[in-house]
Amino acid sequence: MNFVFLTLSAITVLGALLAVTLRNLVHCLLALVLFFLGIAGHFFLMRADFLGAVQILIYIGAVAVLILFAIMLTRNISGTEGGRGSLGGAWWFGVAIAATLAGAMCVFVRRSELVSKLPYGATEEGVVKEIGKLLVSDWVVPLEIMAVLLTAALIGAVVIALEEEKKR
Amino acid sequence: MSVPLGYYLMLGGVLFAIGLCGALTRKNAIAVLMSIEIMFNAAILNFVVFWYYLHNGALTGQVFALFAIAVAAAESAVGLALVIAVYRHYRSVDVDEMRSLKG
Repeated sequence: MNFVFLTLSAITVLGALLAVTLRNLVHCLLALVLFFLGIAGHFFLMRADFLGAVQILIYIGAVAVLILFAIMLTRNISGTEGGRGSLGGAWWFGVAIAATLAGAMCVFVRRSELVSKLPYGATEEGVVKEIGKLLVSDWVVPLEIMAVLLTAALIGAVVIALEEEKKR
Repeated sequence: MSVPLGYYLMLGGVLFAIGLCGALTRKNAIAVLMSIEIMFNAAILNFVVFWYYLHNGALTGQVFALFAIAVAAAESAVGLALVIAVYRHYRSVDVDEMRSLKG
C-alpha cells in the first residue's frame, strides 16, 4: 500500500464525513473544499494533471463560491441552520441504507477479478496538448453540445433565480 | 505507485455512500446539494481510476471525465438557483417543508 494514497484517502474521507455531519453550513462548505482538494490530489497521483487542475479551478474556484453565495442568500435568520433528521426521528435509516450500499460495493469489488490489477503505466509528456487536439477533432460535437448546455444552464439559473422578483 | 485497482474502487464506493447518507439525512436543501456534489465527485474519481488502470495509451477517459465535470458544474448552478427560488417562495430551505405536491 502506498503512503501517499493512504494519506490522500484519509483526507478525502474525513472531508466528506465532516461535510455531511457538521451543523454549521459554512463549516460544511470548508470540509467540502477539503474533500475537493483530496480528490484533486488523487487526480495528480494518477498522473491526470490536467483533470486535477480542472478540479481545483471548477470545484474549489467556482462551485464552492457558488454554494457560499447560496448559503449567504438563503440564511434562515430565525431557525437553526444545518441539522439532520429529514426522516424525522429515523435518520439512522438513511445511515443504514448508505452503510449497506458501502458494504455491498466493497464485497463485490473484492470478488471482482479486476481487484488486483496494477496501473497500465504513465502516459508520455504533453497530455494537455493531446487532450486539446482530441477536443477539437474527435470530440468536437460533444464539446459544442457542452457549450450549449453550459449557456442554457447559465441563462436558466439566472431566469429561475429572478423569477419571483419580476412578479412583484 | 502500486496500489491495486480494488482499493481505489472501494474508496469511490465509500465516498459515494457518504454522499448518499448526507443526501438522505440532511434537512437543509443546500446541504443536500453538497452531498450530491460528493456523490458526483466519487463517480468522476471512478472514471479517472478506470482510465488510469485500463487505458491503452488513449486519453478518451480523461476527456469523458472532463465532460462529466462540466455537466456537474451546470447541475450545481441550476440546483442552487432552484434553492434560491424555493427560498423566495417558502422563506425556508428545509426540504421537509417542501410538500405542496403531497396528496
